[in-house]
Amino acid sequence: MTGQAASNRRAKRPQDWGRWFGRPGRSLTRRLIWLASAWILVALVVAALVLTQAFQESALRRLGAMLNETIDEIVVGASRTPHGGLAPQIQDARTLRLLSGKYWQIMEVRPDGRLVSLARSNSLWSYDLTLPPDLPERLNAAFGDVITFNTTGPKGDAETREPLRVAASMKSIPRHEHPVIFIAAIDRSEVDADTRQFARVTLTALLILGLGLVSAVFIQVRIGLRPLFDLRDEIADVRKGKSARIGRSYPLEIKPLAEQVNRLLDHNQEVVDRQRTHVGNLAHALKTPISVMLAEAGTTQGDLPELVRRQTKVMQGQVDHHLRRARAAARAAHGLGETTPVAEVLDELAVMIEQVFRAKDVEIDWRAPDSLSFLGERQDLQEILGNLIENAAKFSKRRVRISAGGNGLGQMVLVVEDDGQGLPADQRDTVMQRGARLDESAPGSGLGLSIVDDLTRAYGGRLTLADSDMGGLKAVLELPAAQAD
Amino acid sequence: MRVLLVEDDADLSRQLKAALGDAGYAVDHAPDGEEAHYLGQNEPYDVIVLDLGLPKIDGVSVLERWRREGKATPVLILTARGAWSDKVAGFDAGADDYLTKPFHTEELLARLRALLRRSAGIASATLACGGLRLDPRAARASVNGEPLRLTSLEYRLLHYMMMHQGRVISRTELVEHLYDQDFDRDSNTIEVFIGRVRKKVGSDRIETVRGLGYRLTPLAGESEAA
Repeated sequence: MTGQAASNRRAKRPQDWGRWFGRPGRSLTRRLIWLASAWILVALVVAALVLTQAFQESALRRLGAMLNETIDEIVVGASRTPHGGLAPQIQDARTLRLLSGKYWQIMEVRPDGRLVSLARSNSLWSYDLTLPPDLPERLNAAFGDVITFNTTGPKGDAETREPLRVAASMKSIPRHEHPVIFIAAIDRSEVDADTRQFARVTLTALLILGLGLVSAVFIQVRIGLRPLFDLRDEIADVRKGKSARIGRSYPLEIKPLAEQVNRLLDHNQEVVDRQRTHVGNLAHALKTPISVMLAEAGTTQGDLPELVRRQTKVMQGQVDHHLRRARAAARAAHGLGETTPVAEVLDELAVMIEQVFRAKDVEIDWRAPDSLSFLGERQDLQEILGNLIENAAKFSKRRVRISAGGNGLGQMVLVVEDDGQGLPADQRDTVMQRGARLDESAPGSGLGLSIVDDLTRAYGGRLTLADSDMGGLKAVLELPAAQAD
Repeated sequence: MRVLLVEDDADLSRQLKAALGDAGYAVDHAPDGEEAHYLGQNEPYDVIVLDLGLPKIDGVSVLERWRREGKATPVLILTARGAWSDKVAGFDAGADDYLTKPFHTEELLARLRALLRRSAGIASATLACGGLRLDPRAARASVNGEPLRLTSLEYRLLHYMMMHQGRVISRTELVEHLYDQDFDRDSNTIEVFIGRVRKKVGSDRIETVRGLGYRLTPLAGESEAA
């Protein structure tokens, strides 16, 4: 609970943003989704930029073609002037209207590098086009070719000057001493607006596409990782004891993982089994020496035999305790989905215990439907019923009655009762405790009822003691059942 | 009374030998399974005390061999393994009683006395019905030589039917002889017990005569002498 709260707090701290960006060791789902989203974002932004760039370039190319035409016209017009003057007559209405957005200008490059305007379109009035200072050099380097660039025009104030696309070319004119630069310019704002519009539309479309892709990735990751979640749930079931192994079949990629988990489970099982066998062997091996010491000490009187008797009792208790623990551990690991027919176990135990108590002529009358099965291991049911029936036989006058029945809801009730003295209510809790023996004269280690109680609880069942109408004790067991119809 | 003590632990053997001797038994001791088997096979013991954890051949195997060879001597098994599954396995092998280590010597002696009382009078007149045999004094029954494991109520039912074999016996009559008191006489009881006994002796041996009752007969082809 505190650990949970701590991890919640930690998640909110800013330095843990890493978890949202898929640092290894964090959520695989988030990592996959974030990575995919990042890539999608980058790809889409690049696509938008490239598309907008291409659109703008093609629009500018169209403007450039128009400018080239104008340059051709002014070059041709200028060269045709009979007096060597450079004042071409161009009939394009836009070059005549003041500040129309379409301009031309002819300039001469003086040897000192100064540019002197020879002629300009009417639309320019008396303005000069703003030109980059290194223009003459660049034009000289590409003599005769057309260079295009952006600049601002005469229209508007300092902030809102019209954007212009300019084409310029340097040529030498016959009978003209200095090289001449022919310049044509046109308002670019429409192209800019178109480009912006195009960029907006493209970006919107790509954003929608991007959202679609991210949701697709999300769904894909959830579906793709589902086997992993399934595996996690199955492993949880194994830990909770609901199943013994990983049973489902998994995709190729995590099948080895599932198999390794199963091998690990098998290995664990082996280790547990081995340990259990060791403990069992050790405990059983100690029983013979304990018998010897008990017998030897029993035949003589004195302090030493008394000490030996006491200590061997302690040893015996320890041995029994550890054997029970080993059995309990084995039970936790085993016994899933196993069923044991109740009638079979009752029959073999009844025959056996009657034989043991034949001197008393005990009569065990048992009833159980053939279809009734215990949902658990046979040796556990033998242990539970063996102890109960033996106790009943031991304390009975002659009769032991056993009845069993399922309730159809996965439970069964087993009643073992006898016609003996019975047990006062206040002693019933005591007999369930380990090692408690009320009647020292009756044979047995006295562990019987507490083992029954432990085992019953381990199966999620219940043992209650009551008075029997036969006169003796009535033990009522509730245990998990699997009843066939 | 001759008793065969089969126990590999030297100290325990010495103690038990002494205790048994004091109680008036003539004791033979076998420290391993092989010798135990040999002695049990060749000497007429009245009772055998058999430890299950033995060198060479384990106790259950020795017991199974004796029973296969037809030795009916009562056997009390001593075992460190107190789990009921182990006890059941011992009884399946043919044991008559068990004692879990550690035990008190007096308890062993008491159990032996009870065993001997029980087995006294073996080889008395037996009842037979085909391959089915029943020895009333030893309270044992067998089918074709295989001992039957019957609860006392089942035994009592079979006993009564064998005494009246060939005759149709009504349910009321059976119920009266099954329980010696007015006790749990619902009509189902007899069907339940007939069903169980049939399962153990072979279902064809007990015939249901509709509306009248049941009849025990030898199987077709079995002669009385079989």
